[in-house]
Amino acid sequence: MLGLELYKIFRRPRTYISFLIMTAVTFLIQLAMYVDGKSFVSFAMAGVGEQFDIGGNILNGYLVTYIVLQSLLIHIPLLVALVAGDALAGEANMGTMRLLLTKPVSRTKVVLVKFIAGIIYALLLLVWLAIVGLGLSILLFGTGDMINLKSDAFVMLLEHDIIWRYMLAFAFAALAMTTVAALAVFLSVFGDNSIGPIIGTMGIIVVLTIFSNLEVPLFNTIKPWLFTTHMIAWKGFFDAPVPYDAIWQSVAVLLLYIVLFITATIIVFNKKDIQS
Amino acid sequence: MRSVMRVGVLWVMLSCISIQSYAQADSAAVLFENLRSRLDVIKDYVADVRIKIDISFMKVPPLDGKLYFKAPDKMKLERKGGVSILPKNNVSLTLNSMFPTGGVTVIDAGRDIINGKTVKVIKVIPLEDAGQIILTKIWVDEARNLALRTETTTRDNGTVKMDLAFGNHLKLGLPDKVIVYLDVKEYKLPKGVTMDYDASQQVKPAVKGDKKRQKGKIEINYLKYEVNKGLSDKIFMETN
Repeated sequence: MLGLELYKIFRRPRTYISFLIMTAVTFLIQLAMYVDGKSFVSFAMAGVGEQFDIGGNILNGYLVTYIVLQSLLIHIPLLVALVAGDALAGEANMGTMRLLLTKPVSRTKVVLVKFIAGIIYALLLLVWLAIVGLGLSILLFGTGDMINLKSDAFVMLLEHDIIWRYMLAFAFAALAMTTVAALAVFLSVFGDNSIGPIIGTMGIIVVLTIFSNLEVPLFNTIKPWLFTTHMIAWKGFFDAPVPYDAIWQSVAVLLLYIVLFITATIIVFNKKDIQS
Repeated sequence: MRSVMRVGVLWVMLSCISIQSYAQADSAAVLFENLRSRLDVIKDYVADVRIKIDISFMKVPPLDGKLYFKAPDKMKLERKGGVSILPKNNVSLTLNSMFPTGGVTVIDAGRDIINGKTVKVIKVIPLEDAGQIILTKIWVDEARNLALRTETTTRDNGTVKMDLAFGNHLKLGLPDKVIVYLDVKEYKLPKGVTMDYDASQQVKPAVKGDKKRQKGKIEINYLKYEVNKGLSDKIFMETN
């Protein structure tokens, strides 16, 4: 059944649009860095550069990958929503839901299989990002020590101390994308066509991301409870020391949301009167 | 007659005080010149170093590399393809840059104790107004003719304090360890640009007082020196 779901996902041309978009954006960032990366670096380092002479290969593959991830990990959720939002609503839209449910499988299993198919798609997107983002950036720009500029700190990581951080960052990103897939599948249970759940997921992510990033005291109390606040915890792996407590807290919040969304989806789907 | 005697005694006393202070100033000047001439012997060096940067906004691991120095003020850290960090030229990390060049006035500032050792303190004021250095205070180990501490007030970079420890490279008059305490400006980038992951998830309280300047510390451990090998200026122009 999972194979069938994956077949459904990967036979649609729009599935590959996400891979194309991601490749195009990555290439554009790499091209921009290749052509005019030094200006970017000197602009970014202006605060530190006026007091310190910083030399060496600053614009290396690791820094470029970080810039790519910073740009893309905001957009990948939207691409995940494109497929996961279609999971149940797509069947309803095509009128195949009742046919699907005539098979000797429980509705819970249908939800879980569709959710797992969405996770596999999100993981493949991340693997592709690792190949074109990290792999190609290292090929083009080489390796070296990495500088991570935070709003109030200048973090430098030694070359031999970076790859494991990327591995954990990608693993964390997978968890974040799973949360998005869970939300999209949840919204998908209410829709009779894919547009609503996809736009709904995108809208929720955009609005909550704005809440998470706005420095307004009014939002500070709700920020720790928004999953969008925790979706960027992958950045914690590039801090020194790594704030493991905070990252584990983010992992817990995201897991809670995943369980919440999927449980709600199963409950609603089991009670739903399927008419399509 | 009595008043003549009083004037005479006073003159003798004043003469003694002025001779003594002249002798003190003279010995302080000699001490400074001895230090400076010892430094002048070192034209250049390449040293294997380990640098630890302790500045509140900089999270940098200990950096191993080669430190190139050429008198009077050229310095470069090379890290085999890695990123190097050094303070800007005018806040240098060597004694040479902490000592005023040219004509100076040297004042004896008494004695002090560093690590249980009594040392002489001298103040050096450059005669020229144009230079970066306004005043340098030096704690001198007279017996070994070594500066153990300097405190230099600069025109643009606040006060730079330097502690030096000598041991393995004492014969060359070069330190094993130098700790530079310097003033650094606050560092800030807009959060909208960096999109920080705030691990604490808490609003940070506003910092009271002067936010513009903070104290920082750079520790350089010199592991091995190669002295006076005739380093070319090109080395200091090349990027790593």
